[in-house]
Amino acid sequence: MDPVLADRLQFAFTIMFHYLFPIGTMGLAPFVAAYTWKAARGRDEESARIARFWTRIFAINFAAGVVTGIPMEFQFGTNWAAFSRRSGSVVGQPLAMESMFAFFLESVFLGVLLYRRRGIPNMFTASAAVLVCVGSWLSGFFVVATNAWMQHPVGYILERDGTIELQNIWAVVFSPYLQWQFAHVLAGALLTGGFVVAGAGAYYLLARRDEASGRRFVCAGSIVALVFAVLVLYPTGDRNGHDATIYQPIKLAAMEGLFATTRDAPLAIIGMPDTVHGHLIDPIFLPDFLSFLTYGNFRANVEGLNAYARELWPPVALTYYAYHVMVGLGTIFEAVAAVAVLLLALGRLWSARWMLWILMLLMPFPYIANEAGWTTAEVGRQPWIIYGLMRTADASSPSVAGGETLFTLIGFAGMYFLLGVIYLLLVLREIGNGPSATFADARSAQDDTAA
Amino acid sequence: MSIAGFIVVAFMITMYVLLDGYDLGVAAIVPLIGRTDRERGAAMESIGPFWNGNEVWLIAAAAALFALFPAAYAASFSGFYLPFILVLWLLMFRGVAIELREHLASELWHQFWDASFALSSALLIVLFGLSLGNVLRGVPLDASGYFQGTFAFLLNPYALLVAAFALATLAVHGAAFAAMRIDGQPAVRAMQLLRRGWWVVVTLFLAVTALTIAMRPPAAASWLVAMPMLSLGALIAERRFARRASAAGAFAMSCAFIATLLTAAAGTLYPSLLPGFPVGEAGITIFNASPSLAALSCALVVSIAGIVAVAIYAPIVWRRMGGKVHVE
Ligand code: HDD
Ligand code: HEM
Ligand code: HEM
Repeated sequence: MDPVLADRLQFAFTIMFHYLFPIGTMGLAPFVAAYTWKAARGRDEESARIARFWTRIFAINFAAGVVTGIPMEFQFGTNWAAFSRRSGSVVGQPLAMESMFAFFLESVFLGVLLYRRRGIPNMFTASAAVLVCVGSWLSGFFVVATNAWMQHPVGYILERDGTIELQNIWAVVFSPYLQWQFAHVLAGALLTGGFVVAGAGAYYLLARRDEASGRRFVCAGSIVALVFAVLVLYPTGDRNGHDATIYQPIKLAAMEGLFATTRDAPLAIIGMPDTVHGHLIDPIFLPDFLSFLTYGNFRANVEGLNAYARELWPPVALTYYAYHVMVGLGTIFEAVAAVAVLLLALGRLWSARWMLWILMLLMPFPYIANEAGWTTAEVGRQPWIIYGLMRTADASSPSVAGGETLFTLIGFAGMYFLLGVIYLLLVLREIGNGPSATFADARSAQDDTAA
Repeated sequence: MSIAGFIVVAFMITMYVLLDGYDLGVAAIVPLIGRTDRERGAAMESIGPFWNGNEVWLIAAAAALFALFPAAYAASFSGFYLPFILVLWLLMFRGVAIELREHLASELWHQFWDASFALSSALLIVLFGLSLGNVLRGVPLDASGYFQGTFAFLLNPYALLVAAFALATLAVHGAAFAAMRIDGQPAVRAMQLLRRGWWVVVTLFLAVTALTIAMRPPAAASWLVAMPMLSLGALIAERRFARRASAAGAFAMSCAFIATLLTAAAGTLYPSLLPGFPVGEAGITIFNASPSLAALSCALVVSIAGIVAVAIYAPIVWRRMGGKVHVE
């Protein structure tokens, strides 16, 4: 098997699987922190139960995130040795910061949150929950910093032997590309957290059990979801689009399925790209809107794919569909969250069972939107691994054969399948038990005596 | 600067072995010290709040190596491809086992994860020992600085001996920790294990030291010569503490033993990060693997600042979370 293809498949598979969990971690951490804080301040039994409920779900999610994250850190060396060697001087920096400043923080304080020992003040636990949240956001920031640099390299010098050396770390950490990319990623995660909390609450209301907790979940969840459904579109999504226009115009053209360079470019709402003949099949257009969205001007000239050599094109269809899935879902989220909050404000939400059904069934979709977003960003930047500097084809490990990677890819697939099944089983079981369950097992028995 | 980088990486690896070493060790001996479900549960709980933080030292060491010496990171990780991927799988199994065990109150579920936990942890120690043995022995690097670590090459007698030594050392290290942190029967059994395992450790220590000195003789006057003496001293002190049933003392001495061993290993390697094979080839050294000055200084500042921060907050947490886990 072609080694680079095997490496790409393995990387894509493992990172997409890993990313499912950080979304939950970054998105649920503020809920866990807020509920734990509230439980520590107040004396009511219900808050304490809710805090414990979300902490248990968070713990399962975190464990899955950790075990799938560790392979990511190693893979730069095992599978992308040529890339690591050439650019480790830059790429290694944010990753080192992530370990030193974020992972230690998260993992040390998570121990406090999960294993409540007797005699530990509730406020200490609550502060630990806040620090875990900070840690998870920091780790998102540093890892997105790595990615942002690969999307738009800054602060480096190119040596004569081809190595890319760090020149200015501040340029990397304050890269303009990074700011909006991270804001967008975080907004996507918080939106997901909101919908998950709201969805779990909707389930309890529909099942007519744990209704007091369920109301609190739906209320908090849908408000958070609405706020971040707006932020994910504007300003963050909009700014990401601008950055793609400026720094990676080919990606933008692929995202939009724009083949010919066009003035007053229309925005394709749907349509299927045909890369052989270079047009969209059966499209619906919004006239002039693409020019407006990219340049803020209905008359602007937008470059199409045909302006570039074909070998510089990313896989057009995948980029296009992934982008449209993300944006389409984003629009739906906005509508759903807006209606939910409106009903909430009118006091009608608890009787509007159709809305609760929608909220419950919507739970998996933010995950799909997030994955689609990364697919847009990562597939759209091909054939470059570091935009404009290094091609993916030159990046893999010279000493690792395709067959070896294929073997390990199959191994990862098997392990992740198992892990996925266990994860779902345990999370669904926690939701099934609900916030009011009392636990028989050792660890939470200790929880109960401590709280 | 490169020298400071070498020290930082060596320090992080040492911290990893000291800290994750005890939870790997406890894991490997769980079936020996815990007879009942609850006893095994208590053993897991004694390391539960700490193992993840300990494991971050490994991630941090890898990231620091990446940032400080990209060429060494690239060559070693891709060269040891299959062993490292195995390490990843085992780390995953282990993490899942300890984190998810308590989420179902079923004995079968517990038994499965207890066994996976012990087995994957023991295998991990063996793989780490193998890698260390092979790094000390050197690997056949080609002109562009890569190598292919086939299992046939990696499974040599020296590295296997180092692996056995690692397993014995960390099992004893874990036994000392368990004796310190659990009460009741598991603690008694751990203490017994510590006393018996000690003989294995001493024997393997002498064998590995002799072979290593024969392979890479240190300069006569260098400080390196003193290290095996210190290690031996720590071992003897560990024995005395064990006799007096002072688990904390034994654990401290076990830490000192491991730290001196790894210092000696680092001193033997210096300035190579990944020496060539056969002995005599310098291989990848801190001088030909280091990046620009800006990168070196950035990574150093980040690593040291991070270590200082951890040194401030981790002990606060450890103190809070300390105390014995009760079996009852
Ligand atoms: C719930 C998740 C979610 C939702 C609803 C949206 N996005 Fe998004 N988007 C992401 C989650 C995401 C992401 C997973 O966070 C990505 C992947 C890479 C990145 O930086 O963020 C992303 C990437 C991404 C990119 C590519 C950035 C790059 O190439 O580096 C653009 C242009 C947009 N988004 C724009 C939008 C717009 C205009 C949306 C309008 C509704 C939108 N996104 C909704
Ligand atoms: C933020 C840190 C990330 C970094 C540093 C990173 C880096 C990389 C690297 C090195 C590759 C392999 C080379 C290539 O094929 O381009 C890659 C590919 C890929 N990544 Fe990312 N990635 C990151 C995040 C993500 C996330 C979160 C996802 C999805 C959930 C993702 C999805 C993909 C996909 C789908 C590919 C394959 C693209 C292709 O080969 O066509 N990436 N990325
Ligand atoms: C290729 C890129 C990536 C690498 C090398 C990587 C590495 C890791 C590692 C080693 C861990 C475990 C930390 C521990 O032991 O505590 C982890 C967890 C985590 N990662 Fe990733 N990761 C990558 C992609 C991402 C992305 C794209 C994000 C988010 C934007 C992210 C956010 C997180 C978070 C929040 C955690 C905390 C634990 C959890 O989520 O369960 N990571 N990652």
